[in-house]
Amino acid sequence: MYKWLDERLDLQRLNSKLFRKAFPVHHTFFLGEITLFAFVVLVLTGVFLTLNYEPSIREVTTPDGQKLPAAYASILYIDSLPFGAVIRSLHHWSAHIMIAAAFLHMIRIHLSGAYKKPRELNWLVGIGLLVLAIVTAFTGYALPFDNYAITATKIGYEIGAAAPWVGGLLVNILFAGEFSNTNTQMIPRLFSIHVLWLPLTLIALIGLHLLIMVKQKHTQPKYAERVSPGKILGVPALPSQGIMAGILFLVYVAVTTLIAGIFLAHPVQAYGPPTANTPAVKPDWYFLWIYGILQMIPSNWKFELLGATFGPQFWGGIFVPTLIILGAAAIPFIDAQPHKQRYLELPSQHPGRTSFVIGMLMFYIMATLAGYKIDLNLPNALLWVLVLFVPILTGVVAYVILRAFYGKAPQEPQVGGLQGSAADD
Amino acid sequence: MEHTEHSIDPVQEQQEHIQRRTVLQAAIGVGVGLSVLSTLYVGVGFIPKVVVTPEKEPVKAGDILVWAQGAKAGQEITPADLQAALKSDPPFIIAYPKNPENNVVKNQLATNTIMVMQLEPSSLSPETAKYAAQGIVAYSAICKHLGCTISQWKNNVWHCPCHGGEYDPRQGAKVVAGPVPGPVPQLPIKLEGNRIVATAGFLFKPGADV
Repeated sequence: MYKWLDERLDLQRLNSKLFRKAFPVHHTFFLGEITLFAFVVLVLTGVFLTLNYEPSIREVTTPDGQKLPAAYASILYIDSLPFGAVIRSLHHWSAHIMIAAAFLHMIRIHLSGAYKKPRELNWLVGIGLLVLAIVTAFTGYALPFDNYAITATKIGYEIGAAAPWVGGLLVNILFAGEFSNTNTQMIPRLFSIHVLWLPLTLIALIGLHLLIMVKQKHTQPKYAERVSPGKILGVPALPSQGIMAGILFLVYVAVTTLIAGIFLAHPVQAYGPPTANTPAVKPDWYFLWIYGILQMIPSNWKFELLGATFGPQFWGGIFVPTLIILGAAAIPFIDAQPHKQRYLELPSQHPGRTSFVIGMLMFYIMATLAGYKIDLNLPNALLWVLVLFVPILTGVVAYVILRAFYGKAPQEPQVGGLQGSAADD
Repeated sequence: MEHTEHSIDPVQEQQEHIQRRTVLQAAIGVGVGLSVLSTLYVGVGFIPKVVVTPEKEPVKAGDILVWAQGAKAGQEITPADLQAALKSDPPFIIAYPKNPENNVVKNQLATNTIMVMQLEPSSLSPETAKYAAQGIVAYSAICKHLGCTISQWKNNVWHCPCHGGEYDPRQGAKVVAGPVPGPVPQLPIKLEGNRIVATAGFLFKPGADV
C-alpha cells in the first residue's frame, strides 16, 4: 500500500522535505496553533449551524403559536437540537478564543523580536488575519436576529458609515442597503459574507501565513543558541510535532466544550426579537476599547472636508483603530535591521520594546475601562488622563524596573554575527 | 509592372508592421478595458434597489402618531396615554407615524421612530414650544451618534444607552452629555381632538450624523 502510493506520489521526498521539518519547541509557540484550532472548530461547528439556520427575516409561526422572524426562530430551533445549544456556544466561544489567541500570538512575536527581517511580510499577513478574524466575528453578530444583536450590529453599521467618502458604499455592500429591522436582504447578505466570503479569505491567508512560515522557518528559541549555535534545532514535524499538536487540539476541543457546556452563549430568548427599545448593549471584549474611546470623544470634534464629515464617530470608531493597526504594521519597518534574525530575543534584554508593549496593554485596559463610563459614573476628564497618561507612566515604570533588574546582568553569550543588535522601538 | 507591385521596400514593411501592432495592441487594450468595466458593473448589483413602499415613506404633515410597540401597537396615541406614561419607565411613548389617507403605519423606515412626551408647558424653551402642543413634544428617536433608538430617560433628560448621549427635550433636544455630534430633530405637532398630528416633517434630517 505504502509502496503503491509512494511510486505515484513520491511520499519519500514529501516526507524528507516537509514532514521532517525541524519544529522548535517552546510553550509560547503553541499560541498560533491554538488560533488555528479555534478556526478549525469554528468551521466545523459553523457547518452544523448553517445546516439548521434560516437566513431570513420572514415571519414564521412557532409550534407554540408565536410569530417570530425566521432567523430568530431557527436559533431557538438549533438550541432545541441534541447538543445544539452546546455547539452554538462552542462556535461563540471559539470565536473569542481565536481572537484572543491570535492577539497573544502577536504579542509573543512582538516581545521576542520575531517580526524582524526576514519575517516582516508574515507580520503583515498576521495583522491582516487578526483584523479579518474580528470582522468575521462582527458579521456573525446580527445572524441570531435578536434585539441585542441588532442593536450591536447597528452601531457597527453606523461606524462603518462614518468612514469618510467610502463609508456609505461600504455599508451598502456589507448590509445590502440601509440598516433596518425590516430590510429583507440584510440577513442573507451578512450570512453569505459570514459563512462564505470571509472564511474563504481567512483560509487563503492562513495558508499563506503557514507557507511563509515553513519557507522562512521559525525563529529559533534562545536555548537553541546555547545548545547548538548556528544549527536548526527542533523536533520533526511528523511524528513528534504532529502528536503534540494533535494532543493539544484534543485538549482544546475538550476544554472549550466544557466551557460551552457550562456557559451557554448569547441567550437569544432573554433578549427577544428586535423592538424599538434599545437594550443596554456592551460589545465583546475585543471591541470594548473602541466602545470606551467612542464615549470619551467630545461631541464638538467635528468638521467637514470635501463632502465628508469627520465627526466624533469617525475619531473614535475609525481613526483610532486605523492608527493602531497602521502603527502595528509599521513595527518591523521602524525596527529594521540589515541582517536576518535567527534567534528570538529575550524581552528582558529589550526593555524599550518590552515596556512599549506593556504600555500598549495598559492603553487597552484603560480604554476598556472607559467602556464602563456610565456604569461607574466616571468623569470624562479623568478618563482622558487614564487613557493618555497611565499607559505612558506604566511604560516608563516598566522600563525603569527592567533596567534595574536586568540592566546590569551579564549579557547572554553572543554568537558572532548571528544575534541581532538590541535595536528597540 | 507586376514585379513592382509586389516589391515592398523594407522600411515600408516595417512601418506596416508597426501599424498592425498598434492596431492589435489597441484592440487588446479596449477588450481588456471593457471586460474589466463590465465586471465592475456586476458590482452595482451589490447595492440593492431601494423600493419606497407606503410603509417606508418618511413622516410628513398630517400623519397621526401611533404606538410603535406593546399591547396598543398601531393604535393612536392620546394625551391621556402620555399622562399615564409619565408614571411608567420610560415616561414617554415610542411612536410611528400613520398615514391617515391609507391607514398605513410607516414602521419600515428606521428614521420614522419618534419619541413623544408630555412635559410641563412652562419648562419648554420658546423655540421648542413653537412646535409643541400643550407641552407635548415629539422628536426623532434615532440617536445622532451611532443610530441607536434613544429609548431611555435618565437624569431628567433623554438618554441613549449605547454611548451615553443625553438630550434635553425642553430645549430642542440640546445635547447635554455624551459624544453626540448634535441634537435630534423635533417633529412639529398639533392636537386634533385626541389625536397627535404632525404639522410638517422633521425640522432637519433625522438619523445618525455620519
